[in-house]
Amino acid sequence: MPNDPIFDVVGIAVWAIEVGIYDVMYSPWGWTVVEIVHFTGLCLLLGTVGMFDLRMMGFAPGLSLPALHKLVPFGVLGFCLSVASGFMFVVSAPDQYIYNPAWQTKMALLGLAGLNMVLFYLTTSRRLQALGPDDPPPFAARLFAFASLTCWLGVIAAGRVITAFRPPFFWCAWCS
Amino acid sequence: MMDALAWIEQTRLSVFVREDFYAYFVLLIGHAWGMAFLVGGGVAVSLRVLGVASGTRMERFRGFFPFMWFGAALALVSGLGLLAGYPAKALTNWIFALKFACLIGAALLVRRMARQAFPAAARGEPTSAGSRLTAAAALALWFSGVACGKLLLYTNQMLLTTD
Repeated sequence: MPNDPIFDVVGIAVWAIEVGIYDVMYSPWGWTVVEIVHFTGLCLLLGTVGMFDLRMMGFAPGLSLPALHKLVPFGVLGFCLSVASGFMFVVSAPDQYIYNPAWQTKMALLGLAGLNMVLFYLTTSRRLQALGPDDPPPFAARLFAFASLTCWLGVIAAGRVITAFRPPFFWCAWCS
Repeated sequence: MMDALAWIEQTRLSVFVREDFYAYFVLLIGHAWGMAFLVGGGVAVSLRVLGVASGTRMERFRGFFPFMWFGAALALVSGLGLLAGYPAKALTNWIFALKFACLIGAALLVRRMARQAFPAAARGEPTSAGSRLTAAAALALWFSGVACGKLLLYTNQMLLTTD
């Protein structure tokens, strides 16, 4: 195994075994059920945050943005389902995820989506409160929405490619 | 039937999908994006009819239908490509038929909502219990379709007819 100064992949796997996650994942239907939860969460996210993004980009006029924002908590629920199920994948086969370039790309895009969301709520979201249903969203909101949707579609794409790689330990770029 | 599936497996498209490193994953990504837009739009419409985001004009959710159509087209084309690669894997598994039944059923329920609940909302009438029931059923079918898609990966009896 690699001499990894950041992630103790053996320790993570041992922890997963000790707390029982490993047993759940490697039970006959473990991966299947957790994958279903993972993609259901993503669909919920795209169905709420994604549709909010599309409206903020100027599509589906006539829908009030502040009212449509009430869909977002369901997106948060979807995100939580995806994070919890994703966590179970990673701790059950840590070396296959942590050293996987597709998973690393997915995490980078998740980080960008999070940063984009924080910047949106800090700088632009208040300006949407006063918008009527037919008012065009401001340019900054359109940009944030485009970046958000691009990141989420990228997260999905990178997630689908994870299984293309079976990373050997020497793929660890930061290991000695 | 197995003869037909074996013939499909020998076509250039089928061999290309199986043997090209990028083709299979490009199709997988396209399918996931298509399903995300189709199911995502369906989920948004169903949640609205169930009463979430009630400050929005329900009938204006039609604005998301083009994205659902785009998603459906993308999922169908990429799905046919994946099917061409491994026809026996899907067509010998009853869950494949169940997935289609769930998605078609959910899409028909969304059409029903668009024809009944949307005009009623535009007239200012409250959403009927029947429409809410339709929305709940659509939501269940969308998520069941997604679940079936994932189950397909783990329940196939064979990958190729030569197995």
